[in-house]
Amino acid sequence: MKRVAITGIGHTIFGNLSEFDLVDIMAFASSEALDDAGIRKERKIIDQVIVANMGGGILNHQTGIASSLVSRLDLEPAMAELVENGPASGGSAIKMGYAVIMSGMVDVVMVTGGEAMRTVPGWEATDFVATLLHPKAEYNYGLTLPSFGAMFTRLYMERYGLTEHDLALLAVKDHENGAKNPYAHVQIPCTLEGIYESPDAKVVNNYIAEPLRLYGMCPVSDGAACIILCATDSPKMKYFTKKKPVFITGVGSATDTHCVHERQDPLELKAVRLSAERAYKMAGITAKDISFAELHDPFIILEIAISEEVGFFERGKGKDAISKGITRINGKLPINTSGGLKSKGHPVGATGVSQVHELVKQLRGEAEKGRQVTWFGS
Amino acid sequence: MIDFSIYKTEKPEVYAHKCPECGTLHYPVPMICRHCSTRRDPSGVFYSSWEKVPLSGLKGKLLTWTRVYALPTGFTQRYLLFGIVELENGIRASGRLLMDKPKTGMQVVAKVGLVREKVGQDVYGFMFDVPSTGSNVKKS
Repeated sequence: MKRVAITGIGHTIFGNLSEFDLVDIMAFASSEALDDAGIRKERKIIDQVIVANMGGGILNHQTGIASSLVSRLDLEPAMAELVENGPASGGSAIKMGYAVIMSGMVDVVMVTGGEAMRTVPGWEATDFVATLLHPKAEYNYGLTLPSFGAMFTRLYMERYGLTEHDLALLAVKDHENGAKNPYAHVQIPCTLEGIYESPDAKVVNNYIAEPLRLYGMCPVSDGAACIILCATDSPKMKYFTKKKPVFITGVGSATDTHCVHERQDPLELKAVRLSAERAYKMAGITAKDISFAELHDPFIILEIAISEEVGFFERGKGKDAISKGITRINGKLPINTSGGLKSKGHPVGATGVSQVHELVKQLRGEAEKGRQVTWFGS
Repeated sequence: MIDFSIYKTEKPEVYAHKCPECGTLHYPVPMICRHCSTRRDPSGVFYSSWEKVPLSGLKGKLLTWTRVYALPTGFTQRYLLFGIVELENGIRASGRLLMDKPKTGMQVVAKVGLVREKVGQDVYGFMFDVPSTGSNVKKS
């Protein structure tokens, strides 16, 4: 049976890389992946490059980024396309890579996600991400993604009894992992005392959008990540002997209403649930078969809410997993072993690819000491 | 003398759009009715342009809210309050809040005021207030 193998991975450090240009950042992560796959010299076997990026046009005043990346890596005449799907661009690009391989159109695909957001001040970066909201009914008001994250958090707190203490514990867990991740933007552990219990905590961990504090939000980061995909039935598989392949067994995505206010129950992340169901179905597994996961947590509440929607925990019970330590690195179901978007950072276009990079690293058993999960295969 | 009548004096308003076939109210307005699939034509040439229903003055209930300190470019305030409201006609909307101490579930009234000043363009939108207090909405 034809499958799609991940044969190489690459990553830049996440953080302030504003002295480098967007395509250089992407090209560095891509070169890392070429080396990891062992095909730097044979790189012309790549048939297709798919780039995930959200803000090149707005923040970096650059278009045609995918073709530009091809040239920077000397990959011509590979096909090249850009996938822009907001902060889901990375995941979408991998899905498209999977689709073009399974369609039989191409054999080897490079998927690179990257973003350079620190080229503008924080308030402009906030404004840029807010352009994904409804232009008239949301964006015009000065509403931002953190605003909606905060309103979601308040609803969740009022319905399920989530406390600021729970959120602080979750931040401590994320930073515990991120501190050991050499690619993370914020490689500093934090303590409950520092961000919640001490008199200084209210200053250190101030409100950004009530009830969300600084340690409930991801930082604004630059960075890139890359994965190389190959069809298992392709003769080109012979080039990928350096690392054991990791296979993509299921992919899913879905959408929900553009305006948040149009959702019947705003606490229900229907698109998340549906995309998980679709991926489980394709892979022929259920939530119970998952050993560890990377979840999209630009606002810390989303790690809890998504862990419930994808079926790891009952609705409203996700928070209990934090206090019990279930989702910690040595817990029963480690979540966001990379530190999550919270600690690793969130260069929007790169994030989805970066999450898959982390999963591959963990599955290969290549994660740093103290950050490697033990799963059934290791 | 300058003839000020050449300037737009229309009262700022936020509208829901009513499907001409089934009467469903939409905010913001789609191109196809989610209830009966009737098409809308903004120009009114090929299909009818839908009736605009003003939403200011309606009462509603505050569903959730936040006080945001990290505002995007273009805003100079220390913080702003935002909320999602369900109006008495069933329409839900996001908007600014004018009270300083909101509470989930509280009664509000929908007013329309200046929510953003773009270069050469004033943007009007929902400002939700406590029903009893006088108007403190910035007038055009």
